[in-house]
Amino acid sequence: MKEKIIQTLRELRNYAVEKNYEVAIFYQEEDSYLMRFANSAISLNTNEKLIRLYIDAFSGNKKASYTLITDINKIDEMKQGVDTVAEMVEHSQPLSYTPTIPVFKGDFIDEEGFDADLAYISNAERLKFFNDASEGMETEDIKLSGIFSNGCNTLATINTKTDHVLYFKLSDAQATVVLSHLKLKWEVSAEQSAQKKFELDPNKLNKDLSFLLDRYQNDEPQQVPLGEYDIVFGPAATADMLSMMGWIGYSGGSMKRGFSFIGEDKVGEKVFSDKFNLYDDPSRLETFPFKQDYSGIERKEFPLFVKGVFQKFVWSQDDADEFGQEPTGHEVMHRSIVLKTGDKDVGTLEELVNMPREKDILYIPFLHYMNIVNPSKGVLTASSRFGALLLKKDGSVVIPYNVRLTQSLLDLFGEKVAWLSKHETIFNTSMSYGIRNPTALVLPTFIKVDGLEISHSNTSY
Amino acid sequence: MLEQIKKNIERIKSKGATYVDTRWYPYEEKNSLVMWNGNLKNNEFSRESGVGIRVLYKGAWGFSASSDLSDLDAIYDKAYDNAKVAAERVTFPVRLAEKDAIIATFDSPNKINPFEVPLSDKVAFMKEVDDMLNKPGIAQRIASLDFVKKQIVLVDSEGTEIEKNITEVFSQMQILGLDEAGESHTRKFTLGREGMMTRGWESIRKDLFAENAERIVSEMGEILVADPCPKDNRSVIILPDMMYLQTHETIGHALELDRILGYELAYAGGSFVTLDDFGSLQYGSPKLNARADATLENSPGSFGYDDDGIECSNNMLIDKGVLVGAITGRQMVEEANAKSGKQIFKESGGTNRATSFYRVPIERMTNINIDPGDDGTLDDIVANTEKGLLVSGEKSWSIGSNREQFHFATESGWLVEDGEVKGMVKNPTYKGDTLKFWNSLSAVGDKSTWKVAYIDNCGKGQPNQVMQLGHGVPVCRFDDVTIGE
Repeated sequence: MKEKIIQTLRELRNYAVEKNYEVAIFYQEEDSYLMRFANSAISLNTNEKLIRLYIDAFSGNKKASYTLITDINKIDEMKQGVDTVAEMVEHSQPLSYTPTIPVFKGDFIDEEGFDADLAYISNAERLKFFNDASEGMETEDIKLSGIFSNGCNTLATINTKTDHVLYFKLSDAQATVVLSHLKLKWEVSAEQSAQKKFELDPNKLNKDLSFLLDRYQNDEPQQVPLGEYDIVFGPAATADMLSMMGWIGYSGGSMKRGFSFIGEDKVGEKVFSDKFNLYDDPSRLETFPFKQDYSGIERKEFPLFVKGVFQKFVWSQDDADEFGQEPTGHEVMHRSIVLKTGDKDVGTLEELVNMPREKDILYIPFLHYMNIVNPSKGVLTASSRFGALLLKKDGSVVIPYNVRLTQSLLDLFGEKVAWLSKHETIFNTSMSYGIRNPTALVLPTFIKVDGLEISHSNTSY
Repeated sequence: MLEQIKKNIERIKSKGATYVDTRWYPYEEKNSLVMWNGNLKNNEFSRESGVGIRVLYKGAWGFSASSDLSDLDAIYDKAYDNAKVAAERVTFPVRLAEKDAIIATFDSPNKINPFEVPLSDKVAFMKEVDDMLNKPGIAQRIASLDFVKKQIVLVDSEGTEIEKNITEVFSQMQILGLDEAGESHTRKFTLGREGMMTRGWESIRKDLFAENAERIVSEMGEILVADPCPKDNRSVIILPDMMYLQTHETIGHALELDRILGYELAYAGGSFVTLDDFGSLQYGSPKLNARADATLENSPGSFGYDDDGIECSNNMLIDKGVLVGAITGRQMVEEANAKSGKQIFKESGGTNRATSFYRVPIERMTNINIDPGDDGTLDDIVANTEKGLLVSGEKSWSIGSNREQFHFATESGWLVEDGEVKGMVKNPTYKGDTLKFWNSLSAVGDKSTWKVAYIDNCGKGQPNQVMQLGHGVPVCRFDDVTIGE
């Protein structure tokens, strides 16, 4: 299939060259499977097999785009798409800058992240994984929800500057298992991300869930008083906050457009805690990395914050063109974000719960419905969900009803950071909006931040 | 194609499926344009076609979709196989509420096909809008036009044959300003129904955009020099361009029956509402009358027939403050009635929709509306407010996982003191608990305040689906609300 895709792209390129068009063609093929559970049943078992072709046409400072869902054998339809966008661009309006059509130095083929066993795992195996992960935990009141999503993503691009092709193929799986009490409305969850089939481990999910379930069934729930708390965030919460930072923090385009809390003058300045070391590191295979971006720029470890000091903004090709900057290899569907671990030897929830403590600690594993209240100040708001715990200083555990945090990233990762776990967790943040885009972050398993205010506390779940 | 679809439906039925349907999209076209600070940053056209097949086998759903129609039989077989596996883990076998077999067509109202309007006219319009917004103090100017045209053919094993031809037009203009401290503030205008009874290219009215461009530029000037929003407890008066979102998030999503039954717990969340609440829960004050009205003229939330083949209808959700209905489809009403042991829902409310041929239909909002009240005009409501905050334009929204509480930031806010609108405040926010908030509804504006907002990006489900819908809402006032946090 790889040869067929590359051959098709070259045929389309040659067609465009013959007609004196300037185009860049991007091919995406996904074979997606999703088994969704609700109320302890399979509520949906679905698959999508789709090929999308994105064609950009350029004419001096003008640019136009055409997208079609197509079939690899429909070469005439694809050529018609090339003609359509070439006609569109002539009627477009010139930009104030010249968009770059990248010159690829050679073919680049990356299939390191592809595992056929994972991509095409069978329906029966998906079901068995879920049955194993939830074994012994469902009751009349406690119901199973979740997803097992897996598939294969093939991306390839070519343009009329050269006949070189960039080609990426990878597989991925994401499992989320949720146990919820339908009457009391509490929910606990565990997640797993895999790039190879052997990484799937339903027993680990079962163990994580069993521990939480035991707490939720046996410890007392209560509304926690408003005020300041020392909070330990789990990887889902941390990943969500870091994802927001990628948008309103170190993106050069966002900064130039006024949507960032980090100003141009902050390069080289201390912004966060000296415990905060954030990188875009495509050498980490767990992040489903791009080792070249779609502009053909080789991607290497890219420091964003070192000991809290801001290193540099990232510039996509279009932002770099518009604002007169050098692109930094970030014309990709997602970055490979790695938050370096710290020195606290706490690697599991059980260890966290059993850790001696001088003050109460609120454990928030997951932040629901995060949104940006004020981008200029990095202020976010979200509510706790999925297995929060209040670890009392006397060693007891209370189940807190959900609480709301409205905080600035400058505080969340600033001087209030007490420690980062020395243990690493891979957290999958893949979304199923639009096209398949497997994404994961490498994170410390826990981060403790002191003195954060809880602004709202539920009276029930 | 239709004959092949019907043959395959019969073939899969003969293998033991109790229900089969097919949504065939002969085409779906989209045209999106974004002009940012005068630069046409996005000029995109897209086209897709394909089929989505749903099979019900031994009480379980299987779904398969493809754009490659060269082997249609294989797509049906895949959907059937998916259902067979799903049938291995069934706790409540899916049953579908009764319906009539409908053979019909639906065309959304439009006069001028936006896909036949030359690109140069669209770009010229955007340039005009950009010029209107290009004023001192405005750092960023964004204008967008989005057009959708699609044909959907629904055929099912119960004799349904429905063709829908839908054209949508969405547009927005937004500005960003930086205050003295370098903090950014936004203000926008989003095209709604605006009194138009069709929504083709004719709904892109220059006079409307000019009038609103002048307004938002003027308001931005006030925002940039305003004092911060105080932390306080006040009445909050919500204008329709914010009231639609309050309704959307804390009535609409909370009353989706699949959520109430726990079908979204893996991702989007649940609802604080239980089956016992219908007919008795005091959701809001007696001034609150809310409905799911898919018959509202000229709205993306009115689509003729849903993807179960049910004709659109107008259903009360909240009657004088009491919860009486939900956003429902064929599967969920059967399950809710069976689980509650009584007939809460007489029939499907006809709200099942899929975002594309390759996604499965689920309960979606139609037009979730608040009826106009008898508390007069906006001026009347302000005049009757001692200490309030008047808010307009959504900036951020975050809702608890069971829709039980929320936090909103708005683009504009004005303090109201002793019945008069005073100065504007910066970064207004308000928050609350859903039930307490709606029960504090103390004024509902009359018909003069009622507007229909369009939404083109409501997200729900896994795989995620983005849906278009509407909200008809008046100005509303709520008392004793926490602001400024």
